[in-house]
Amino acid sequence: MLNTIKTSLRRSVQQPSRIVQLNKIENKTPVSKPLPVFRYSISDEKDNRVYVWGLADHGALGTLKTTLFDKGISYIPKPKRLIFGEKHDVTNITCGYGFTAFAVRSKDKNILYGSGINTDSQLGFNEMDKKFPNGLVTEPRPINLPVKDSSTKVLDMAAGRAHLLVLTNEGLFTLGNNAYGQCGRPIIPNENYEKSRVIHHIPNIKEKKIKAITAGQDHSVLLTESGEVYTFGWGADGQTGLAHYRNEYRPSLVKGDLAGQHIIKIACVADCVLALSDKGTVFGWGNSEYAQLFVEGENQQVNIATELSALKQLGHIVDIASGGCFCMVLNNIGDVYVWGYGILGLGPEVKKVSQPTKIPSVLFGNNAYQKNTKVVKIFCGMSHLAALTNMGDLYMWGCNKFGSLGLGDLKDQYFPLKVTVGAQVKKVACGIDHTVALCKPFI
Amino acid sequence: MQSQKHLQLTLAIIKPHVVKSPFVLQKIRDLIIDNNLKIVRSHRTIITHKEAELFYEEHKEKFFYNRLLTFMCSGPSDIHILTDHNAIVKWRQLMGPTKVYQAQYIAPDTIRGMYGLSDTRNATHGSDSVASAEREINIFFSDFNIKKWYEHDEKYYNLGQIHFDPIAFLHTIDTNFVNTNKEQITK
Repeated sequence: MLNTIKTSLRRSVQQPSRIVQLNKIENKTPVSKPLPVFRYSISDEKDNRVYVWGLADHGALGTLKTTLFDKGISYIPKPKRLIFGEKHDVTNITCGYGFTAFAVRSKDKNILYGSGINTDSQLGFNEMDKKFPNGLVTEPRPINLPVKDSSTKVLDMAAGRAHLLVLTNEGLFTLGNNAYGQCGRPIIPNENYEKSRVIHHIPNIKEKKIKAITAGQDHSVLLTESGEVYTFGWGADGQTGLAHYRNEYRPSLVKGDLAGQHIIKIACVADCVLALSDKGTVFGWGNSEYAQLFVEGENQQVNIATELSALKQLGHIVDIASGGCFCMVLNNIGDVYVWGYGILGLGPEVKKVSQPTKIPSVLFGNNAYQKNTKVVKIFCGMSHLAALTNMGDLYMWGCNKFGSLGLGDLKDQYFPLKVTVGAQVKKVACGIDHTVALCKPFI
Repeated sequence: MQSQKHLQLTLAIIKPHVVKSPFVLQKIRDLIIDNNLKIVRSHRTIITHKEAELFYEEHKEKFFYNRLLTFMCSGPSDIHILTDHNAIVKWRQLMGPTKVYQAQYIAPDTIRGMYGLSDTRNATHGSDSVASAEREINIFFSDFNIKKWYEHDEKYYNLGQIHFDPIAFLHTIDTNFVNTNKEQITK
């Protein structure tokens, strides 16, 4: 008995060595054909994906297919991969009120596409539009910019209620509604914006190069390479920060606490503007009806840049977002703070929060098993909020207008919840009632 | 002829940002029709500064007065005279609370809750009383004589002897009924 076990053991020990030997012999003989190996297709480093969700009827999602219906309104409640994004090399996205613009890497001059509401020619004039009824462009089509060089690229984009700003290396181009001067050209009373071919060009500001652009609903904010902030457009809430409440069409330097500061980012969706300096300090101006700017008393409009000293205790701020009636900041540890009014992610109530309040980081996936997970970017629309983690996960919460939170339903979301996007999210553009995400494939 | 309750008139304004969004405009128009409100007059115009000043007289001292005026004059608006038995309250209920940021949570199914953008860009306006309806109608429809309308036209609207023109978005008195009524009188 013992012997038999021993022999079998010996065999089992011996056998592998035989196999190895066999292999060695095989390896010595020259292989004429490599064995076929199955490989998943690996995406190129430049590959991007575009996902869309929210209200579909105005065409801003770039597709009217596979939508759901609620009360006669068609919408897409969770991220849908846009075919346009597969056919084109999309590098940047922006959402306005019912329209979306896509920047595209291209060898010809077609570097910009758009879809959605075009009643104020915010997507430019195009002969092709005849096939779309009611001034609604329901699939992305080129926006012809008057660029000189075919190698020109789109550097930044911003969209408001009915105007579009496009920054290229040939300067800034503005399209659409100019009723308040938000396109940076003189206001023409009763101008007809329908089927307008007007595209205004701002090459630079006082010889200073423009670095980034942001748009409120009816005003525009430019950031120069030297860190200065220029605004134009509607000023009735003080959102231009020019120490008055009038319309201004000329890009003008913001007044107040910004003097001597080097600003690196501007955030604005509606009428309240936040600015972030390279030192991690935050400034604000514009509408403060929901105490977004911490002003005391009856003053609800701030018409010059004011340092938000209530944020000093939060440490070095690295990202900012400003919605319709709330604000959000992110510090360098990855903590997200919110204040203002609405569903802010602080529990099952719609409420007014007067002091910056932290959203627990565990809600963004930071737990005992994933200690390194942290929020790296924040975004917001008029009433919906979004945060992006270093893992490429997207979390959204707030008012779920027409499914714009991408969570699959139409219920308002009271705390951050992960959105199922089939790719690594790089950038989110929040419109009023739709959302677009620019992503990288997982593999 | 049956004795009928009097109709009420109200002034509705579809504000500039909605007029520029064809899909929302259609939804609001559908709501008006579905709720059996009749459109007596319709008019698309860019409200002048003078008209807006008159219209918002009561808000003159408010901090948002300048904001409201510049917004209302920023593009074309659709101005309608609506009528129904309880037109003023009915239209205001369809509109929802004035402040959009709050309406989207407390009254999400109203026009403002769904299609308002901000507290100023709040989609629509509606008269708040019979007196203000009269005052507001006089500002935008100076040729419209309310007294005459009640004398001559109200009965047709009350009895539904009207014709709807979806393109002009207007209910007009059905001429067939006008003729038969005239015959009755001459007889």
